[in-house]
Amino acid sequence: MYEPKIIAFLCTWCSYTGADTAGIARLKSPANLRTVRVPCSGRVSPELIMRTFDQGADGVLVLGCHIGECHYDSGNHRTAKRLPVLKTLLTFAGLEEERLRLDWVSASEGEHFSRIVTDFVDTVRALGPVRWRVDRREFNPSYQRAPALQSSPHASFSNATLEQQTLQLRQTAQELLDSGQVACVIGYEQDWRGRTRPTFVYHPEDTSRLVWNQDCTHNLTGYLNHKLHQLPQAGDGQTNNRVAVVVKACDSRAIHVQLAEKSYTRDQVYIIGMACQGIQEKARYDGKVHTQQEPVLQQRCIQCTDRNPVISDILIGDLKKEAPISTGLSNRSLTLTQLEAKTPSERMDFWLSQFDRCIRCYACRQACPMCDCPTCLYERDDSLWVGAAHGWDGVGLNEKRTFHLGRAYHLAGRCIGCDECERACPMGIPISYLNQMLSQEMERSYNHRAGVTIIPTPLVTILSGEEGVQ
Amino acid sequence: MSSRMIPGTTPTVISKNSLIQWLDQIASQMRLIAPRDIDGNILYRQVGNAAEITWDYTRPVLSIKDVFFPPTEVLFTIEKIGNEVNIRETSPEGEQVLFGVRPCDAHGLQALDALFIATQPIDPYYMRRRENTTLVGLACPEMGATCFCTTMGGAPDDPRHMDLMLHAIEDVYLLEVVTEKGAFLLERYPLVIEPGIQPNTYIRPEITTERLAYPALDSWPEQFNQLYWEEIAERCLSCRACAYVCPTCRCFDVRDEIQSEQGDNKVYERIRCWDSCAGEAYRRIAGGHNPRAAKGERLRNRFYCKYYYFPQQYGPAACTGCGRCIDVCPAGVDITEILHFMAGIAMVEKQAQVEVGRI
Repeated sequence: MYEPKIIAFLCTWCSYTGADTAGIARLKSPANLRTVRVPCSGRVSPELIMRTFDQGADGVLVLGCHIGECHYDSGNHRTAKRLPVLKTLLTFAGLEEERLRLDWVSASEGEHFSRIVTDFVDTVRALGPVRWRVDRREFNPSYQRAPALQSSPHASFSNATLEQQTLQLRQTAQELLDSGQVACVIGYEQDWRGRTRPTFVYHPEDTSRLVWNQDCTHNLTGYLNHKLHQLPQAGDGQTNNRVAVVVKACDSRAIHVQLAEKSYTRDQVYIIGMACQGIQEKARYDGKVHTQQEPVLQQRCIQCTDRNPVISDILIGDLKKEAPISTGLSNRSLTLTQLEAKTPSERMDFWLSQFDRCIRCYACRQACPMCDCPTCLYERDDSLWVGAAHGWDGVGLNEKRTFHLGRAYHLAGRCIGCDECERACPMGIPISYLNQMLSQEMERSYNHRAGVTIIPTPLVTILSGEEGVQ
Repeated sequence: MSSRMIPGTTPTVISKNSLIQWLDQIASQMRLIAPRDIDGNILYRQVGNAAEITWDYTRPVLSIKDVFFPPTEVLFTIEKIGNEVNIRETSPEGEQVLFGVRPCDAHGLQALDALFIATQPIDPYYMRRRENTTLVGLACPEMGATCFCTTMGGAPDDPRHMDLMLHAIEDVYLLEVVTEKGAFLLERYPLVIEPGIQPNTYIRPEITTERLAYPALDSWPEQFNQLYWEEIAERCLSCRACAYVCPTCRCFDVRDEIQSEQGDNKVYERIRCWDSCAGEAYRRIAGGHNPRAAKGERLRNRFYCKYYYFPQQYGPAACTGCGRCIDVCPAGVDITEILHFMAGIAMVEKQAQVEVGRI
């Protein structure tokens, strides 16, 4: 019979002693456990668990103190929040959910410890050897032909509205710069090829460059932090370091999250909100020449209910909140629900074949308005959590998967669904599935939708005291 | 084929059928790398037979660079058992044929060769792959919207840098033997010429192209301190997409990583993987100082490297005009705009030309 390798992270204050108690009482428990003693179950980071599976563990057991008994008051409350989210994510990526378990054991509960361990080992044993770690010598990617794009609603843009909004936008920007209220306006312009792209306007006479159209896809809030730190500080003579930014409804939610996370203060930004009719899908470069097709709405816009930004200093245009064009409809031939309904093994195949294409250019991370760590955890010189490898046919695939899943986890409850990551990806990896799945999970578990108001993310920051309470 | 084909002789006309048979024959006996449609992305990957090849492409998402200089390669493995240390060099793939190469990508090898082969020390990994690989080119049917190969001295049907070159003409192909290596491949895997296809009756289609302005080499130093670089870099996200899709960007990082560990038996690998000057950590030195800390300085380096430093040091420009970086940039940085700035042409004029239909 297959004997699984199980790694158990035990809190030194309770479950580790609980294991001792079980030993002293001479209770029988399986010998499959390799124990790691930690100061608190809250110390067990998602990276630790992912990398444990990457090293070949068949199951990971995290045991902490009962709720209300944490040596550090609230460490286990955090565990109670994090672990279920991580479990959802790993399950989505193709791990059987029974392979990761969180439970509570106090120092005196030797019998309880023994029972949990026996049960967990039996469960994992029944599942057989884990399929998670990728060995590049055995990796056999399941390349697939491109699935046909489904038809999706054609976008019908009111050009008159767009033109009027552009004129009003230019006028607003001019006034703001003229009066010295802001030092810079971050907006959109068209380049000589006619492509819309981000632009930075500093002088009133340059405001004629600004445009507002159905191709304003970029989320400009990602530039705010950098720009605010680059400009001379306020109070420095006559300079004003306030920055104006043009936002759509989705982008405005990013501002809420950034404010909640204290990236900058409200008075440092002037928000020019644009009523938005939706953005059209631009054919991503995939190696072919694309012929001009009828404009099609982007995936995020099909599901969007907001038309006006949730926060703004001035609103240009005004559109009624609309029901999503369709909730079930997708631009893709594979919807999130369909992907979730697949077997763990099929999901594993799906994600491995997707991540195998990743070249670690980090465009997803760089384009994300929420990814603003000065040094990314996954790109440290000391390769703390992930190595530097990024080939294909399995080379560096464990590293790439840890990066993508880890990044998605860090965005849980923070991702506002602008899909910039997926748009920026040159390799066509459908990253937004991960973010959408976790957004759903956060809404289901915590009734939390990122950026709708200025509230800190419940997953990492806020504890209600109810965590883990049955 | 009856007689030996000699480089430089008149091209032969072959049918698509016999081309496919030929590719199948090669694929059954050695590694054949060709454009494949992988989940909607066209990439050069190994194919098992000609049916897996995609013919409908302008240029794959990644260039052929990664066939010779892969994103990550193991240089050697270090095995440590107790106190005993064994170092084993990685043996490269055997002979292979790379089919469906576009002229811009083959042109890119000129820059890579200049650095990895023509300059000491020679890079043995790159050189062995180069020696083992026969390039079979396929001329582009047209220039893509962002292509500017003609500006960089190439052409959509340029046979230079290839071993064999194919031109699709209606439903047949014109085969040009460019090098001895190409002739040798044809000798080993002869092409079946179907009767009824008359050689030499097809004329190559004219490919009309317009060149962009190209700045002179000596115009670069004086522009170095222009505020312009900070301006265009404002929208740059400092990702590495442009460098990784580029057929000539060739920076790498070398690291030692542990591969497996069982008791006293440890296996380490020395790997090298792609790196890019766009990344913030690229230029960081001991003590944490970073001489290229600003985004503008980093982006400026990209263009100076391509059009000034590299040609000065190694000869060819490190750009072939494939236009991939324009297509993948998530923020709309356009390399041709930089060329125009350097050549002293304002984009306003350029736009006016577009509007009146001159470009």
